[in-house]
Amino acid sequence: MENYRQSVSRADPGCVVILLDRSDSMKLAWGRTGASLADGAALAVNNILLDMCIKATTEVNAPVRHYFDVGIFSYGARVGEAGEGVESAFGGALAGRGLVPLPELAEHPMAVREEPSIDLMPVSARMPVWVDPVHGHRTPMCQAIAVAGAHVFDWAAAHPDSFPPIVVNITDGMVTDSPYDGATLQDWARRLTSIETNDGATLFFNVFLSPFEVTEIVFPSDPGGLPPPGPDLFALSSPLPRPMVDNARVDGYDVRPGARGLAFNVGRSTLLRVLQIGTRVPDRVR
Amino acid sequence: MSHTRQVLFYAPKHGNTEAEWEDGAAAAPADGAGRGPRFAVADGATQGFGSARWAQQLVAGFVGDQGTAPELTADALHRWAADMQDRWRDDPRLAGATDLQRLKQATVGSFATFLGCELRDLTGPRPRWTAVALGDAVLFHVRGHRVVAQFPPIPADEFGSNPDGLPTGAAGLAEMIGRASFAEGDLADGDLLYLATDAFAQWVAAADLRDRRALWTTLAGLDHPEAFRALVADRRAAREMVNDDVTLLRVRLDRRPAEHLVVCL
Repeated sequence: MENYRQSVSRADPGCVVILLDRSDSMKLAWGRTGASLADGAALAVNNILLDMCIKATTEVNAPVRHYFDVGIFSYGARVGEAGEGVESAFGGALAGRGLVPLPELAEHPMAVREEPSIDLMPVSARMPVWVDPVHGHRTPMCQAIAVAGAHVFDWAAAHPDSFPPIVVNITDGMVTDSPYDGATLQDWARRLTSIETNDGATLFFNVFLSPFEVTEIVFPSDPGGLPPPGPDLFALSSPLPRPMVDNARVDGYDVRPGARGLAFNVGRSTLLRVLQIGTRVPDRVR
Repeated sequence: MSHTRQVLFYAPKHGNTEAEWEDGAAAAPADGAGRGPRFAVADGATQGFGSARWAQQLVAGFVGDQGTAPELTADALHRWAADMQDRWRDDPRLAGATDLQRLKQATVGSFATFLGCELRDLTGPRPRWTAVALGDAVLFHVRGHRVVAQFPPIPADEFGSNPDGLPTGAAGLAEMIGRASFAEGDLADGDLLYLATDAFAQWVAAADLRDRRALWTTLAGLDHPEAFRALVADRRAAREMVNDDVTLLRVRLDRRPAEHLVVCL
């Protein structure tokens, strides 16, 4: 039977984990935005969290529905403790938390504040914020996958009939901690994607940010022509399953057979679109 | 032939509570001023905000329980739907909405497929039904064990692909009303009309091709909400019916008036 068919519901919620690069290079300006890569990435993450909360909001006097458990793990500079490492990127009341049920997430943004438009339109809007832009230190991506993987493993064991966990890695750089604990980045990615529910293996998608205005490559089916570290990220990234292929085509992407969950050199608005495509699962929800 | 007897069956999605049924259904007798008995079903979008209220507002409005019931013309439906949008948006229950709920109401709103039907000339020379549809809620007109008419005529394998319906936002309303379809059909004594939202209608359309006698015998014989729910649970378990809210409004045409009012407890 084909995998990745389970719809998200309160009986069988989904799991979305975002790995957020907070290394020093995330301080670089993102194209002509005037803001840093870290600013743009945090803005996109806050937007996708708000999207998820909105989708799960159905009626006045009714709580946000528990359609997802969500984790945001940062790697690079730490906020909770000084120095380099991996930690939950949530601030405020959720600081230090791993996977958080969506209703609790909706209840506890760290702030509600004026934020710029993700697509660089000259407007801003008040919106809830769960993560802040932070940058510093190196890029311990292996450790991030290891930490997130432990949460994902426990979650999958507790939700065997759910749509498999979705892990999206947002980075601008090369891994600096491979091998970590005796395993390379490829090993950690294999371990992560070997975690399964009855509906398939954990999905691992990668988004590579570039400070320069270069051609975006979204959901490639061939690593040929990708500059470094594109081919390595291509090899790490899961093939796009049918629901995400459908999502991407609806959004206008020409998705070829064998396309991977990789977006390379993307701008801010594309980052958000890729997050939306990668986290939208079959939606006859209840 | 001049009398109608109707019964409503419904069930929420498996796993949901009774209050989370996001369809709507309503019926009203002739108004004494020339309008015949009316029936309506609607299916609120699961991804919307306030979808149950929207679906239930539409069916109540169509049968005249809220505001003035519309004539079955495009212009009248447009005016009526705009009034329904105002009422949905100004619902006093929204006073307690959170910021997130207000945001979703303003940016997403809701949407519902809709099917409305009126019976005309029941005591005259040409009794008939006339109906309007937007989306994939379906009317089956059945005589004996045969479908005389299906409106809209959606094949079983094409449900879910029709994007039409009534939005809560003003922007898309005129275009949608322009896509409404209208139909009518002549009635005979003993005929049955079934109004169903998409999940049940899709199953009916498929079951009619497999064994129409068994299908229509079963549906004509449904006599208790639990019998309907058992049928739905059984067909869901067999993966013949999508796990969605389901609604079936059955209307029977009869020369004799009803002798009993049946209340199922």
